[in-house]
Amino acid sequence: MNKKIRSIGSTGLLSLALLAMVIIATGTGAMQVSPGQVVAILLKQVGISLPVTYDESMEGVLWSIRLPRVVLAVLVGAGLALAGAALQGLFRNPLADPSLIGVSSGASLTTVMMIVLQSAIPFLQFNGVLGFYALNIATFIGAALAVLFVFRISAYGRTTQMTTMLLAGIAVNALCNAITSMMTYLSSNEQLRSIAFWTMGSLGGASWQTVLAVLPFILIPAVMLPRMGQALNVFALGEREAMHSGVKVGRLKTQLVIYSTMAVAAGVAVAGIISFIGLVVPHIVRQFTGADHRLLIPCSAITGAILLTGADLLCRTVVAPAELPVGIVTAIIGAPFFIWLIIKEKRTTAI
Amino acid sequence: MLRKSSLFAVCLLLAGIFIAVNTQAQSYKRIVSLNGTITEIICALGFEKSLAGVDVTSTYPASVKQLSNVGHNRTISAEPVLALKPDLIISTAAFLSPGVIEQFKRVNVKTVILQQDYSINGTKQLITTVAATLGVPEKGVVLNKQLDQQQSALKIAKQGKKVLFIYARGAGTMMVAGTETPVDKIIALAGGTNAASSFKDFKPLTAEALVAANPDVILMFDSGLESMGGVDGLLKVQGVSQTTAGKQKKVVVMDGQLLTGFGPRVVAAIRELSQKINA
Repeated sequence: MNKKIRSIGSTGLLSLALLAMVIIATGTGAMQVSPGQVVAILLKQVGISLPVTYDESMEGVLWSIRLPRVVLAVLVGAGLALAGAALQGLFRNPLADPSLIGVSSGASLTTVMMIVLQSAIPFLQFNGVLGFYALNIATFIGAALAVLFVFRISAYGRTTQMTTMLLAGIAVNALCNAITSMMTYLSSNEQLRSIAFWTMGSLGGASWQTVLAVLPFILIPAVMLPRMGQALNVFALGEREAMHSGVKVGRLKTQLVIYSTMAVAAGVAVAGIISFIGLVVPHIVRQFTGADHRLLIPCSAITGAILLTGADLLCRTVVAPAELPVGIVTAIIGAPFFIWLIIKEKRTTAI
Repeated sequence: MLRKSSLFAVCLLLAGIFIAVNTQAQSYKRIVSLNGTITEIICALGFEKSLAGVDVTSTYPASVKQLSNVGHNRTISAEPVLALKPDLIISTAAFLSPGVIEQFKRVNVKTVILQQDYSINGTKQLITTVAATLGVPEKGVVLNKQLDQQQSALKIAKQGKKVLFIYARGAGTMMVAGTETPVDKIIALAGGTNAASSFKDFKPLTAEALVAANPDVILMFDSGLESMGGVDGLLKVQGVSQTTAGKQKKVVVMDGQLLTGFGPRVVAAIRELSQKINA
């Protein structure tokens, strides 16, 4: 009972913090829009008109450029942190992050291939809507294929060995990175810049279409992963123990990997490589919630959303009117924080 | 007689339509230019007062550096540009991401993306298009006439000196300009030959390739040579001192936008480069 109250309390508090962050991020940007005008513009979209004056360009920027970007940051941040928490539980290792199972390197491979080969191979030059999203689709497919590959290599009978999976991940990462480097070497100057900026991550191209495209891939894991919290708690004691207490271990692993990949691949597809959110957020949350996955997973999702929205807000405003890639911001904030966490944990328990 | 007068009427009508169309052309008050060459053309056409913002590559005339700067054209995002409340966004096709162009169109700001061909004719074409967009085609004609005059006064002897362009941002990043680059085109126009003609675009510089190319002249942006620590710093790079250019310390520097912009100053740029190569 007490636990229940605590869990509702902490998710509630975090949700309030997220709401505050979203409001701040929506109200801040290169174009000056006062809070009153923000409210008036947003209410106008649902048919309520307030007697506040604002010009058309403000409405356009706020509604079709800034707001989708904020929403996308919330979704992608939540997805990355969710997957991080789930995979750290799966590997029973607080240092696990989504890139371990090949998501990022697979995504990078197909993205870079698309950037470099698109001009050379007519077959890759799609028209219309498909052409516009070709890169995002290629990214998603690459991420999913790499994970599938890792999973197939490590599958043994009806289960997968975690250590084998880790090794398979390292091998697939190495292979993908090698081909990516090859592609990068072959690329022209223009392509090289595109590649460089893609790997730094950005939420700049957000639109309502991208938000809608990503939504199911984040929403499904966000609903399903927290429901596996109890099973993950048992799993933390060890695979054998979990099997004996009735957890369907093979199924748990498969589902965890599928849902995590869904969330991360969708995020990478629309925003490029954004580092550290998946690794650091579950760590931070664990400091407060302890190791109970039923609480850790949903709290990680909300915290990830808060952090990425905040990081994107920073990169939009620090060097305004120019912009920093958001991946740089998350890494610059994330890495020192992570080092501090490691030192702190070293004192209390050995990792 | 009747035929004549009706013809006259038709002519009048056509002229009327023409004038109407001409006054139709909107006069833009807040232009954001996301390309240095386009900025030069806009200023040369006398519209500098209408510029609300520019990008990093807009360095000429010097007064445009006072304007709001929306960053590097490759990393430009929509909101800072739109925050300037532009009524026209204009750029060349090379660098803007399609997503950003899409965002400009979504908020109904007139966005003009032009193709640029790196030649004197390409420059004239660009001037014509920009002038038409701004509703002053006659000013474009005048500017192009000036270019024609400069061009006919230009005497370039083909001296066939091998020129190698090195793009440097510190000794760590050094790239050589191959074919199909603006630098390659302007070297040819100035009567030289590009020492790196075996590949397209820019490639990292290797010492062996540098010695093999053996340029008579090394060409750089002034900012590029500065980042290397001047000529002495450049000579420390593997292979440079073994080339003819290195032995004779023949390093030519020019302003980046002037050299590669192919804007209204293109003929002046060709003349300057030709003189410097032959100095």
